[in-house]
Amino acid sequence: MNLYDSKILLVDDEKALREMVGGFLRRAGFHKVTVAGNCLEAEELFALKEPHLVLLDVMLPDGDGFSLFKKLREMSEAPVIFLSARDEDENRLRGLGLGADDYITKPFLPEELILRVTAVLKRVYRVKSLQEQETIALGRCLIDLGSGVVKWNRDGADIAEKEITLTAKEYAIIQKLAQERGRIVTIDALCDAVWQEENYGYENTLVVHIRRLREKIEEDPSRPKYLLTVRGLGYRLV
Amino acid sequence: MKEFKRDRIYYNYRKAARLLAYGVLAVFGVAALTCILNIVLLVSAAVVYVNTDSVYIYGGRVMESLTPAQDGYTLDREMEEEFEQKDQWAMLLDENGRVVWSVRKPEELKDEYSGADIARMSKWYLEGYPVQMRAWDDRIMVVGMQKETMWKYNIEFSIPWMYFVKRTMLAFFLINFIWIVALAFVFTKRFTRNRERARIEWIAGISHDIRTPLSVVMGYADTLEHSEELSEEARQQAAVIRHQSVVMKELIADLNLTSQLEYSMQALRKEKVRPAEIVRSVAVSFLNDSLPGELEIEVQIEKDAEQLCVKADRQLFVRVFRNLINNSIKHSGKSGSVEIRIAMWEEKGKCLIRLEDNGVGYSEEVLRRLRSRKKDPAGENIRGLEIVKKIILAHGGEIRFGNGEDAGSYCMIMLRRGKG
Repeated sequence: MNLYDSKILLVDDEKALREMVGGFLRRAGFHKVTVAGNCLEAEELFALKEPHLVLLDVMLPDGDGFSLFKKLREMSEAPVIFLSARDEDENRLRGLGLGADDYITKPFLPEELILRVTAVLKRVYRVKSLQEQETIALGRCLIDLGSGVVKWNRDGADIAEKEITLTAKEYAIIQKLAQERGRIVTIDALCDAVWQEENYGYENTLVVHIRRLREKIEEDPSRPKYLLTVRGLGYRLV
Repeated sequence: MKEFKRDRIYYNYRKAARLLAYGVLAVFGVAALTCILNIVLLVSAAVVYVNTDSVYIYGGRVMESLTPAQDGYTLDREMEEEFEQKDQWAMLLDENGRVVWSVRKPEELKDEYSGADIARMSKWYLEGYPVQMRAWDDRIMVVGMQKETMWKYNIEFSIPWMYFVKRTMLAFFLINFIWIVALAFVFTKRFTRNRERARIEWIAGISHDIRTPLSVVMGYADTLEHSEELSEEARQQAAVIRHQSVVMKELIADLNLTSQLEYSMQALRKEKVRPAEIVRSVAVSFLNDSLPGELEIEVQIEKDAEQLCVKADRQLFVRVFRNLINNSIKHSGKSGSVEIRIAMWEEKGKCLIRLEDNGVGYSEEVLRRLRSRKKDPAGENIRGLEIVKKIILAHGGEIRFGNGEDAGSYCMIMLRRGKG
């Protein structure tokens, strides 16, 4: 499915905002946008159109977005992005395991909205293809994120000179760095990616894994060119 | 460290003082009201007494106007008229209980009374008539009223009981007083809390109502800014509108946050957070969004401080470091590149964070305003730093702002370690 063929349902009680956001989405290429002004309408249209994504205002004239969200979730697993105008909602959205996919606080800029919508759609509907296709080229070596194998090529040659398999932890690190390529990733975010929860005190272990990873992907591991250390903060893949 | 202490004590003092003032005011109010009420009651009782009770004729006055004569006694003319007017009667008993003189005495009454009769009437009534008695030499003057006009009761208490009352009376009043004070406190507290809540909700409501229309302003301004049909000038104007609406967005968020921090500590969503992690993530987000060479942030976290945890609202702590770094960037001076050093270490179980920059430093006026609690809206805008201070204080931490010895400004934050 083409990303822009995704059906989007926009629920907000403010007509001006509905028109504006609808306009942004259409201009960005999403041509199947439906709008609803209240819970009742939203429920009907949700059942009728079976949207791929719902943009849902938290405060609606005939109920709140949270309970509407629960009702919609009973009907389908379609991702929901909340639009919220209250700081208090932010707490609820952040902390509560509501299962919403994202939230945007009003007021927002169009790019932000489009970015979030696209990101959620990609994540939910194309998550596999993204991983399968991705390979990272770092000079002479090529990292295949699908299989977790590092291939070293001699210049100009098509056939890999040698192939090294990444361990699960190294794979998690390189995947995280690749996602944020060019940007610094904090030590903490890397630990989160590798060990998930309760990762206090793994910083030293992370350093060991990074060193092994460099041995596999860098030409000169003691003078890394691609996987750089940002002292005191984290690492960056360039 | 001196400055920190002053800030904190001042802060707590102010909140406590306000509450105390309300309490004292309420107590005095209640006391004054009680006094006024008492006085009103007393005065009205006196008025009623003067108008009803004291108008009756009593024994003493009768005796004064009674003169012995050859065949008994004669009553002054005036007094007789008064008896008539007030519908009262009187009789004089001699030492044997015989009536030797009387005026308007009801016919049903006897002319001679035994000792037992006299004892009874002195305490209660004489055949239903309320009577007043007065001994006059060996005679007894009995002044009576009509039936159902006067209530009589004799009281007597044992001396030990009276002693007990005397001793406990003070405690009784004290308990009453404490009770009133406590009640006043409860009421004022509830009253002020309701007012605070109403205020927070009002501000939250307003900011909510502004956000939706502002979204539309921001969205369309952005569209116009990128519209190719418009002239360069118009696009630039749209850019200004967009930029200003972003400023407004921040203002609203700040207003909401400030009101919540100021009026209710319960607004904090505390969880276990690692300041080290927050500092790093904020620093990185700034670095990732900056151009190369524009910004340099050096983060040094000591090993002991790395695993320190505090109980805090994560989002607010992110705000603290964002505001501080933003402030450093805003006041970077002419050099163009911003250098920020953040150091974090542990001292006596407390987490210390020092952020310094190479900028122009705080002006005397800004420092003075940051150190005092008075709100002074005039002068340079330091809302961001004030929010930083409020957040740290609301978390029971301490904060100090100052200028470096050579150049730049610094901010010291001390956080208490979270339990568990």
